Amino acid sequence: MHTIVALLTAKVLSYKNSLQGPGRGRGVRSIIFCTMGLLFWLGTYFIFYKVLSYFSGIAVIGTLLASRLLSMVFLTFFSLLLFSNVLTALSTYFVSDDLPLLNALPLPRRHLYAGRFIETIVNSSWTVLFFSFPVFLAYGTVYGASSAYYLTLAGVIVPFLLIAAASGVILILLLVHIFPARRLKDILVITSIVLVVGIFIFIRFLQPERLVDPESFYLVMDYISNLKTPTSPLIPSQWAVNAIEPFLFGDTGDWWFFMLVLWSTGLAFFVIGEWVFERIYYDAWSKAQEAKTARLTRSGVANRVLELMLKPLSERSRVIILKDLKVFLRDTNQWPQLFLICALVTIYIYNFSVLPLEKSPLPTFYLQNVISFVNLALAAFVIAAVAVRFTFPSISLEGQSFWILKSSPVELRTVLWSKFWVNFLFLLLPAELLIITTNVLMNATHFMIVLSAISIAGMTFGITSLGICLGAWFPRLKSENVSQIATGFGGMLYMILAVCFIGLVVTLEARPVYLFFISRMRGVPLTGGEITEIAALFTAAVLLLVLTFILPMRLGLRKLSELEI
Amino acid sequence: MIAIENLSKRFGKVIAIDAINLDVQSGEIFGFLGPNGAGKTTTIKILAGLLKPTSGKVTIDGWDLAEHPNRAKAVVGFIPDRPFLYEKLTAREFLKFIAGLYNCSSNGVAQRTDYLLRLFDLSDWQNELIESFSHGMKQRLVMASALIHQPKLIIVDEPMVGLDPRGARLVKEVFRGFCARGGTVFMSTHTLEVAEEVCDRIAIIQEGKIIAVGSIAELREMSGSEGRNLDAIFFKLIGGDEGKEAIEAFRF
Repeated sequence: MHTIVALLTAKVLSYKNSLQGPGRGRGVRSIIFCTMGLLFWLGTYFIFYKVLSYFSGIAVIGTLLASRLLSMVFLTFFSLLLFSNVLTALSTYFVSDDLPLLNALPLPRRHLYAGRFIETIVNSSWTVLFFSFPVFLAYGTVYGASSAYYLTLAGVIVPFLLIAAASGVILILLLVHIFPARRLKDILVITSIVLVVGIFIFIRFLQPERLVDPESFYLVMDYISNLKTPTSPLIPSQWAVNAIEPFLFGDTGDWWFFMLVLWSTGLAFFVIGEWVFERIYYDAWSKAQEAKTARLTRSGVANRVLELMLKPLSERSRVIILKDLKVFLRDTNQWPQLFLICALVTIYIYNFSVLPLEKSPLPTFYLQNVISFVNLALAAFVIAAVAVRFTFPSISLEGQSFWILKSSPVELRTVLWSKFWVNFLFLLLPAELLIITTNVLMNATHFMIVLSAISIAGMTFGITSLGICLGAWFPRLKSENVSQIATGFGGMLYMILAVCFIGLVVTLEARPVYLFFISRMRGVPLTGGEITEIAALFTAAVLLLVLTFILPMRLGLRKLSELEI
Repeated sequence: MIAIENLSKRFGKVIAIDAINLDVQSGEIFGFLGPNGAGKTTTIKILAGLLKPTSGKVTIDGWDLAEHPNRAKAVVGFIPDRPFLYEKLTAREFLKFIAGLYNCSSNGVAQRTDYLLRLFDLSDWQNELIESFSHGMKQRLVMASALIHQPKLIIVDEPMVGLDPRGARLVKEVFRGFCARGGTVFMSTHTLEVAEEVCDRIAIIQEGKIIAVGSIAELREMSGSEGRNLDAIFFKLIGGDEGKEAIEAFRF
C-alpha cells in the first residue's frame, strides 16, 4: 500500500510543482480556464434541462424518450471512456519516461499495476466525469429526484469508470504482448481499426433514424416498444441506466441487481487486469523496448514527386514542409486520429444522404437551403475539430527538437507560414468535400453551393490561422503523447474561439441569405435598403475572415519569437 | 569571433549569469568550465539563440546577435548536450534538411553529406530512422549536422557525453582540424582532461560569474598551482572539496 501511495505522491507532487513553477499569467489562465469550464457546464445543463423539460411534457412516450436519451448518454460516455483509457493506459504502462526507473526498482508488480491503474483512471476519466455531471443534474432537477438518486448515481459511476479503465488496460496489455516486435505502430493501427469498427457498431446501437421517424413503424405500439427495448442488455452503460432509472421515473426496477452487476463486473475486471498484468506485463514491456524496425519501406518516387511539387517554394520552406510531411506520415501516433476523422466524415456525409427532407411540411426548396446553411456551420465545426487534432499541435510536434529550428538562421515567419499552408491545404480538402457532397446530396441551389464552398474556404483560412496561433501560444514541446496535446487549456481555448468565429461568420451571412431566399420565394426583387444591408453584412463577414486570417498569424509569430527553450 | 559584454540572464529571482564578459578569438578552441548549475548551458543557449539575455550584448563574427540573429546564426554550428532530433527522419534526410535550413542544399552538399557520414562512422546507418540510433550515434549525427553548412564557429555543450573512447578521440581530432583551418570552437565541458588536452584558452564560471580566464599556464599562475594539472587548478579556483564530502557521505 505504501508503494502505491508513494507512486501516486510522485505524480501529485509533479503536478503541484508544475502549477507552482515560473510562468507569467498563470492566474489569468486559471481564471479563463475555470470560466470556460463553468460556461460549458452551464450550457450543457441548460440544453439538457430544456430537452428533458420538453420530454417530460409529452404523454406516454416522454419518459421513454428521456430514458432512451439517458441510454445514449451513458453509451457515449462509455465509448469516450474506453477510447480515453486505451490511449492513457498505453502511455502510463508502456511509454512513460519513469517506467525504466520503476521497472528497475524492487516493486511488487501488483503495486505498480494498482498505482498506474489509479493514474490511468484519473487522467482518462476526470473530463468525462466533470462534463457528465450537469447532464445528471438536469435529469435530477427535471424529474424531481430525491437524494437517493444522487447517492445511487455516485454508486453507479465508480464501477462504471472501473469497468472502462480495466477494459482499456487489459486491451493494451494484450495488444502489446501479442504484437511486441512491431511495437506501438501495430498496436495503434489495430486500436484504430477496433475504434472505427466500434464507432459504427455504436451508431447502429443507437439507431437514431428510427427514433425520430415514427412513420417507419407500422403501429404506435411498435414505436413505443422499440423505445422500451434497451440499447443492449449486455453492456455496462445499460446496467448503469437500469440502476438509476427507478429514482428518476419511479419504475420498480431491480436497481440493486444492476448495481451489484456493475460492482461485481468492475471489481472482477480490476482483478482480471491484475492477473493479466502479473503474467504478461514484464514480458510485454521488455519486448516493447526492443529496437525498432529500422528498415522502413519508403517510397523514393513519392519523395521525388513531393520535392518536385514543392520546387516553386524557397529552399527553407521546402525542407521544412518536406520534413513535416515525412514526420507526420511516419508517426503512427497520428494514425488512430486519422482513422477516426475518416469515420466521422463518412458518418457525416451518410447522415445527409438519408435526411428525409421531403417529409417536412415546409417547402423543400426553403428547407434544403436552410439546412445547407446549417450544414456550413456544422462542416466548419468538423474542420475545427480536425484542426484541433492536427493544426493546433503542429508547433508542439516539433517537440524537444525545436532547438534545431530556433538555432538555425531560418526566420520563424518561414516556419510558421510553412506550417500554415500545409495545414490549410490538409483542412481545405475535407472541408470542400464535406460541403459540396452534402449540398449536392440535398439538392441545394447552385447559389447556396457556391456560397457554402466560398465561405468554408474563407473559414478554413481563419480556422488554420487560429490553430497555428494558439499552438504557438501554448506549445507543449515536452508532451509524451501526441493525442494529449489537443486536450489541454490551449486546445480548449482554440475550440471555443473557433466556434465563436464560425458562429459569427454564419450569423453575419444568415440575414443576407434569408433576404435573398425570401425575395426568390415571393418572386419580389430585393429593395435598395435590402441590397445595402446584404452588402454591409457580407463586407463585415469578409472583414472578419480576413482579420481572423492575418491577426492570429502575427500574434503567433510574436509568441514564437519570445519562446525560450 | 565571439564578444560577450556584460551578459546577464535571470530566471525569475534566480540569476543564472551575472554580467559576464568574454572575448573568443578566431582559430582558438575555447573551453568553458564550471560546476553544475554555474551558468554554462545558459550562456551556450544564449550564444545559440535559444534564450534571450536579460541584459548585455553578444556579437558573433561581427554581427550583433540581438539585431541580426540570422546573420549571426548562419556562421554557427550548434551542438547541444542532449541530441533531440527528428526521430522519424533518416540520418541522410536529417543532414539534407539541415543543409536546406542553411540554404546550401545545392552547394555540393551531397558530397559533404557522404564525407561527414563516413567521418562520423554513420555511413552504414545513413538510411535508417534516427529513432533506432544509440545516444552516441545521435551525438555524432548532431556533430555532422553542425558541420554540414561549413560554419566558422562551433558552439558545443558537453561534447563528450555519451561518446565511446573512439568517438571522443574523433571529436578532439575534428575540433583540432577545424581550428587549424581557421574555425573557432566554444565548448563547455565537465571533462577536465579534455579541456586540458584540446583547449587553447579556458574560462571558469561559478555562480554565474567568470572567476578566471586564460591559457592553462595562465590559470596555473593565477591559482598558484605550479606544475599541477587542470583538476587541481579547477578545484583550487572554485574552492570545492567535493572528494572529501563524497567519502563522508558513504558513512551514513
